Amino acid sequence: MKIIVAIKQVPEREAPVRIDAGGKWIEEANIQWAMNESDAYALEEALQLKEKHSGEVVVLSAGPERAGTTIREALAKGADRAIHIACDDLGDRDALGVARLLAAAIKPENPDLLLTGLQSDDLGYGQTGVILAELLGLPHASLILHVEKTDAGLTVKRELEEGWFQNIELPIPAVLSMQSGGSKLRYATLMGIKRARTKEVRTLSAAELAAPVASSVRLERIALPQKQKSTQILSGTAKETAAALVEKLKFEARIL
Amino acid sequence: MILFPATLAEPQHFSLWERLLFAGLVLLSITLFWRRFATVLRKILQSKRDADFRLFPLGRRMWDFFWEVLCQAKVIRQRPLPGIAHAFVFWTFCAFALVTLNHCAVGFGLGFLSSTSLAGRAYSYFAAAFAVACAGGILGLFVRRFLVRPRWLGQELSWESGFIALLIFVLMATYLAAFFVADVSPAARALWWLHSVALLTFLPVVPHTKHLHLLLSPATVFLSRGGFSHIPPLAGDEDFGLVAGTDLTRLVSLQAYSCVECGRCTEHCPAANTGKLLNPKEIVLGIRGYLNEYGPSSAEPLIGKYNPQEAPFQCTTCGACEFQCPVGIEHLPILVGLRRGAVNTGAWESDHGSRLFLALERGSNALGLPAGDRDKFIQKQQLPIFDGSQEYCLWLGCMGGYDPKGREIVADFARVMNYLGTSYGVLRKEKCTGDPVRRLGNDLLFQQLAESNLEMLSQSKVKKIVTICPHCVRTIQEDWKEFGTPPPVEHHSEFLARFVSQLPQVQGQEKIVYHDPCYLGRYRNVYQEPRTVVAHAGELLEAPRSHERSFCCGAGGGLAFLGEETGERVSHVRAAELAATGASTVGTACPFCNSMFRDAFAARGEDVPQLLDIAQLTARGLPNDAG
Ligand code: SF4
Ligand code: SF4
Repeated sequence: MKIIVAIKQVPEREAPVRIDAGGKWIEEANIQWAMNESDAYALEEALQLKEKHSGEVVVLSAGPERAGTTIREALAKGADRAIHIACDDLGDRDALGVARLLAAAIKPENPDLLLTGLQSDDLGYGQTGVILAELLGLPHASLILHVEKTDAGLTVKRELEEGWFQNIELPIPAVLSMQSGGSKLRYATLMGIKRARTKEVRTLSAAELAAPVASSVRLERIALPQKQKSTQILSGTAKETAAALVEKLKFEARIL
Repeated sequence: MILFPATLAEPQHFSLWERLLFAGLVLLSITLFWRRFATVLRKILQSKRDADFRLFPLGRRMWDFFWEVLCQAKVIRQRPLPGIAHAFVFWTFCAFALVTLNHCAVGFGLGFLSSTSLAGRAYSYFAAAFAVACAGGILGLFVRRFLVRPRWLGQELSWESGFIALLIFVLMATYLAAFFVADVSPAARALWWLHSVALLTFLPVVPHTKHLHLLLSPATVFLSRGGFSHIPPLAGDEDFGLVAGTDLTRLVSLQAYSCVECGRCTEHCPAANTGKLLNPKEIVLGIRGYLNEYGPSSAEPLIGKYNPQEAPFQCTTCGACEFQCPVGIEHLPILVGLRRGAVNTGAWESDHGSRLFLALERGSNALGLPAGDRDKFIQKQQLPIFDGSQEYCLWLGCMGGYDPKGREIVADFARVMNYLGTSYGVLRKEKCTGDPVRRLGNDLLFQQLAESNLEMLSQSKVKKIVTICPHCVRTIQEDWKEFGTPPPVEHHSEFLARFVSQLPQVQGQEKIVYHDPCYLGRYRNVYQEPRTVVAHAGELLEAPRSHERSFCCGAGGGLAFLGEETGERVSHVRAAELAATGASTVGTACPFCNSMFRDAFAARGEDVPQLLDIAQLTARGLPNDAG
């Protein structure tokens, strides 16, 4: 089975977020970068499928040169080769624009399965996977936790609301948007990093792919969320405060 | 003074047949000896070279050799009675080198230590004195092994040891008896032959048994890597640690063949003492078994028949084994080497382990908490930010920056520094020093963490570091050296001990038992400083196992992050030992020990001693408005 995993490099979870002078993006100077979390789960699922059924895992990423480190990380974890779409204007493209780039690179590969993360941790559109399926004319399912290969195609486990799951069947080729947390991620190893050095990374330029840039969505400006602190201090005996806390967690925070 | 009148009988005039027989036996004995010894030597020499081995400077090596081999200092110090007995056997062997040479020469009529000459006679008395001590020593060791039978020598009686003891005893007895017979008597001849047979049996037995240590351990001690728990750098692109036979280095192989199976390592091992699979002696013997069966050129994985994977991952890296070993075996490079082999190749699968690694791949601390938590703590405590102008950089570490109890320790230490007017600051950003991943054998992560921290420190122009965590101290000072030049770092016990006289004494004589953290004691040789600090705050009590024999809290080696232990918990055993001293307070000097005992005491429930770090003990004496 040939699987393509589309990954994106995003600011590390702990990166200090400061809006740059243009007001449309964040200051990149002091930021460390990491693989988008749900993409990491997509990669893990692909690697597990390969381990079970053999085949090839190709990672695909669009982004500036720095995305190379995330691509190497994917190769180190076990992907066989990579395609890097070199493009410095990722921020100027909307989800459709990025999907067009990716689709152009995917088409000649003819994969059996295309995995993306559910959404990116920076922009969070959650659309790239869906649009890709449309552009490629392939069936699509999202919020996938687990993929099983069957004789007929795939059985996938989807996450629904409130702890419900849904198992559905799909033919292949197909596009799946993967949810985080479905499997256990593997750690990067020294051996993986060393082996990754010799793996193929093909760099394509955005121009080569001839995908139209024109955006249908224009980003006006970005802003930091207002900090809202609403500390409540519960008083009374331990028993009373515990009961009040449970009440609040259930009905206000809705996490119980 | 009574002069011993007898001279050592020296039989004369051996017949040709006797000479031929003796020559034949000598040849046979040497052949049998060499056949096995050469095999062992070959296996050692065929092992991979130790890339980082440097013979020079010789000073340390010569001192170790003199102190540990010639003086038998470690053997005696750590197990005094059997140690002395062993030392006498050893010294006698040295004294007997000449005697034995002369003995064989006599067989060919070439004896050179004439018992009539003054020198010869003096030497024979000298040797006889040792022979008496040695015979006594060997009897004592025999009684201990076969009648007292300490647990760590293993369940099974070693007949091999009994046989060797018998041979040595016969050698000594026949030597001594020869003082009481005449030169030409048949008795002298019989004694000579008995001595010869014992000697020629002894020789081939040596390389076939653990008595190989007689020949190898002097070299092992002399050639040891030095330092403590020194983890050698990986050599080249294909080195991932101890994966297969081809990864065994000469030092590892030499050490594996030197083990005398004394069980000192196991006796002190917290894992082996709490029902884990790990037994450091078996790890060493496992390597030896592997070498015997597969050899050093084999691609067969080291983890397998001879060493189960579970065992090395139960090690707290407390270093008790390495510290105790009388023949210079360095267990930690082997244990960490096996972990490296498993982790660097991805063969080790552990949910907790992966979680720790992923937390450090993506984040900054081993606890997996957002870095913002550390910022909040710094703000709340109003800790000054290091700007290059202060004397000390106060390194928080994962525990000091994120763990609630660790933060209390930092806060109190900061109060003390404020009181003393020390200029210090904390870094805006810090990453885990890499201690847990270093010990767990994840070289990729360790290198990343070490390099990015070193870079950060040099950018911040840090000149001196002080920290509350002995693991940080060790990792910064020793392990980072592989990737750069870390600034000097000291533990807060060393800092506090220097200034303790300027601090107000705590009132009352509270009984405080001090627990030596492995990474401060055995790893850094700091025993006295924290005691000075404790004594300033109350009455210092010692635990039954203290100083270099301190028993681990169970947290080291990344184990604090690996979840449930099998068997009994190391921390519970140690906590019970500390509580049993009757102290009202347990004084710690490591945030990991502190957190382990906190949980252990919580599990014990009522009536447990207080738990305070030495910084907290000190800060209690400060006036309320200080800091
Ligand atoms: S370092 Fe400590 S826990 Fe590990 S084997 Fe040695 S004695 Fe046991
Ligand atoms: S490794 Fe050292 S301490 Fe352990 S049994 Fe062997 S010789 Fe003794």
